[in-house]
Amino acid sequence: MASIDTTSTEPIRRPFEGRRVHLGDVLLQGFAGAAAVGVVVIVGLIVWKLVDSADPAISKYGVGFVWHKVWNPVVGREAYGAASFLFGTAITSFFALLIATPLAIGIALFLTELAPRGIQAPVTALVEMLAAVPSVVIGLWGILVLGPALRTNIESWLHSAFGFIPLFGPPSASGASIFTAIIVLSIMILPIVSSISRELFLGVPHELKEGALALGTTRWEMVRGVMFPYARGGIAAALILGLGRAMGEAIAVTQVIGGGVFIHWSLFGQGDTLASKIASEYQGATSNLEVASLIYLGLILLMLSLVANLTAQWIVRRVERRHGVVRGGRA
Amino acid sequence: MPRLGTSIRTITALAIAAAVAVTAAGAASAKRATTLNGAGSTLIAPALAVWGPAYSKTSGTEVNYSGIGSGGGIAAITAKTVDFGASDAPLNPDQAAACSDCVQIPWALSATVPTYNIPGLHSGQLKLDGTTLAKIFLGQITKWNDPAIASLNKGTSLPDLAITVAHRSDGSGDTYAFTDYLSKVSSAWASQVGPAATAVNWPTGVGGKGNPGVAAIIASTPGAIGYISVAYVKQNKLNWTRMKNAAGNYVLATGPAIEAAAQTVKSVPPDNKMSIVNPPSSSKYKGAWPLSTFTYVIVHTSSTQAQALRKFIFWALTPKAQHLISNSFLVFAPIPKVVLVAAEKTLAKVH
Amino acid sequence: MSAQGFTGGPLQVERLPQRKAVNLVMELLAWLTAVIAIAVLGIVVFSVARRGWSELSLNLLTKPPIPFSFTNAPQGLANAFVGTLVIVGIAALMALPFGILVAIYLNEFARPSVRASIGLTIDVLAGVPAIVIGIFIYGLLVAGGGGQSGIKGALALAILMLPFVARTTIEVLALVPNSLREASLGLGIPQWRTTLSIVLPRAIGGILTGTVLAVARVAGETAPLLFTSSLVGAHTSWNPTHALLTVPLAIFELSESPDPKDHARAWAAAFVLLMFILLASLTARWLANRSARKIAGR
Repeated sequence: MASIDTTSTEPIRRPFEGRRVHLGDVLLQGFAGAAAVGVVVIVGLIVWKLVDSADPAISKYGVGFVWHKVWNPVVGREAYGAASFLFGTAITSFFALLIATPLAIGIALFLTELAPRGIQAPVTALVEMLAAVPSVVIGLWGILVLGPALRTNIESWLHSAFGFIPLFGPPSASGASIFTAIIVLSIMILPIVSSISRELFLGVPHELKEGALALGTTRWEMVRGVMFPYARGGIAAALILGLGRAMGEAIAVTQVIGGGVFIHWSLFGQGDTLASKIASEYQGATSNLEVASLIYLGLILLMLSLVANLTAQWIVRRVERRHGVVRGGRA
Repeated sequence: MPRLGTSIRTITALAIAAAVAVTAAGAASAKRATTLNGAGSTLIAPALAVWGPAYSKTSGTEVNYSGIGSGGGIAAITAKTVDFGASDAPLNPDQAAACSDCVQIPWALSATVPTYNIPGLHSGQLKLDGTTLAKIFLGQITKWNDPAIASLNKGTSLPDLAITVAHRSDGSGDTYAFTDYLSKVSSAWASQVGPAATAVNWPTGVGGKGNPGVAAIIASTPGAIGYISVAYVKQNKLNWTRMKNAAGNYVLATGPAIEAAAQTVKSVPPDNKMSIVNPPSSSKYKGAWPLSTFTYVIVHTSSTQAQALRKFIFWALTPKAQHLISNSFLVFAPIPKVVLVAAEKTLAKVH
Repeated sequence: MSAQGFTGGPLQVERLPQRKAVNLVMELLAWLTAVIAIAVLGIVVFSVARRGWSELSLNLLTKPPIPFSFTNAPQGLANAFVGTLVIVGIAALMALPFGILVAIYLNEFARPSVRASIGLTIDVLAGVPAIVIGIFIYGLLVAGGGGQSGIKGALALAILMLPFVARTTIEVLALVPNSLREASLGLGIPQWRTTLSIVLPRAIGGILTGTVLAVARVAGETAPLLFTSSLVGAHTSWNPTHALLTVPLAIFELSESPDPKDHARAWAAAFVLLMFILLASLTARWLANRSARKIAGR
């Protein structure tokens, strides 16, 4: 369900020649058309409003905002920049994707190739239920259960065993850290990537799979040689969609990430992402420039999400064309 | 097929009817009591939690309050998303210009308190002075058994534990009072971080949202130290620090100590901007708590709610309301007479 | 596509044991990932249930919160549950007709090129982060004197719901056989009547499914309401022209509090929210199965 099927070449259902055009037709088409235009208007309005509200910061900093590392709200020394939050977004999303991808693909393969008939449906439902858990609930669990557990068990062990790697600095004080945020994000994007991958694997033509197996390959060799190449594009799109989700998550991240304006390599320190910074600072922003800078962060986030989303959509449409897939099944 | 279609139709009709009923109930309740919406300082939030129900009983006006930090309160009243804003920090010149027809009225007196979580030390045991506190928050002192701290705490065994500094991540009046104090007692702080402000570029530490956020960090992190409004220290049973005031005495943040600090106000400037941190060393203030602060309510002089606001604030300034919050639970102190007079004079401008 | 492509070398029977071993390892890994996923879900739900169960009581739903209570007077989150009902209800009332109209236009009237571009726009809207939509509504309606209100929060949620409702409605409308439309038009029934009285009712099951799923998703949203309906008092109100507290926002604020009693209430509220959402998702799934069988299988 990643995109709307637009490949149908059905004849258009317009009134045929000589028919009377009823007032009702005009009205329905008018209202429905207005609604459709309304969607476009909303997207345009969102972009416009963000640019408009961020204007004080845009005109002051320009594009350089993106690599300013400072965020100083002190009156008289005000200076804002997005670099440290872009770093936070990049690190958390990258590692979350790194953790979630093998798990998601593994689950998708399990559900399409290995699961006995009886447990396929329940397990699929369970994985999709994970997607239904609200982010604030995962964040609550993250603050009160996961964070402290990670701190006492994993962070201290990793630091003492591998502390020479800059990634594993001193464990966080309270469990709130970039590492906790990464785990939380992996949990949140796992269902998306896995359900799209599962649909992709289900769509691999039987003949290709059976053919390979008939040639004597093991199941894993068939997966590696047939399914992965076939589904490669779609999986890339799934990953990008998962990335977009991870970048945009504000609430669960702000609950567990600790908050800070630091660029450092240790995963166990605090930080902020674009989204989590907006969530934590917006209500308390004091000056106009600070509010505008926060909205500028939102604009950058919007641009990144749009790029990710459009890229994924483009990949999906290209892959569908290549495979000649018609989804949606018009009767 | 018809049966399923009918039942779904019925369910849909019922759902829509329910939604309409809910909306109607909402609209109907819209015309009831006057409501005053406020937001801002978390320091005054406990007081408003007491004042709200009490005022509602006498006047029928509901008071809604959201603790989002003093910075947020100033922003909210400037943007007119609320009827009144509450801030422990007075408006700076830029904010005063942005909220041009706003007045700030001091309506309560409280303090911020450094609190700590050191295993083995109970409440009131830790002694600190301004310079050492500044060094801790500058990140220059990083362990609890540092000689600088130990020299102030002879007789107490301090553990070899890393210090975790906790500060406010939101725009906070507690931060204002705290940084006001630090910039006055430590020239290093003043030059490196700056003067009093509701939000600063912290050299070190973990941020928490609101007084509750900082309290949560301190409560859950051994070795943590942070600054919190008095009422929250009590409510969360955190440990009080004894601070050395300018007169040389180690004091706790009690009601009398805060009242003593407020005696430094001889006259109130026209914009009501007062700072009572770090009272001078004269014997008159020997028992004063050095991190005391007034807290303000900020309103527009004319608005649709001006009358209701005026009645409410007037009530809050009465001795009865001040005594409601000056008890051992909340530890606010009654505002001194000279400030009260100035407050009421400013209030007269609201109509 | 030769067999060599699969194994990186000629399919050698002699290497079969190694290849089988690799296969076994991979299969075990796949099983492991499934177990991990179920375990994670189980841990989260179990955590919430165990901690929330003890604090769960009727008080949670009926009593308002008492901030800074020094006594043990019963308190709950009545204002949040009422607020969620009102705001999500209004959001659904806004998003449903909008989404259905968009779907009708795309499916019944639009040229393929228009369908493609507006379809893309809907997918783009679905990818906009919830917090950005919150800032958007804040900037548009709340700042500069507008003030917060439940309706503005509902508007933000409706924008979040719109792509879901539109997508599922489009898919379900597409499932309705064209023969039905042609038969109706052939009988002289105008297109608008055909669409509204013949096509739409057959799709209503799917539309309901989409709405229920959208409601389930949006009932748990916090970010958009952070800026549009968060400055609230402690008493219960049904009035959407004021800012109303919602359950996710209440959980968010309680989760950052130092008081263990607040945490307990957060767990209990999270449990109720989770149960509601899981129930709604399961219901939607059941509805979807029924209506799909009805439309396709007959």
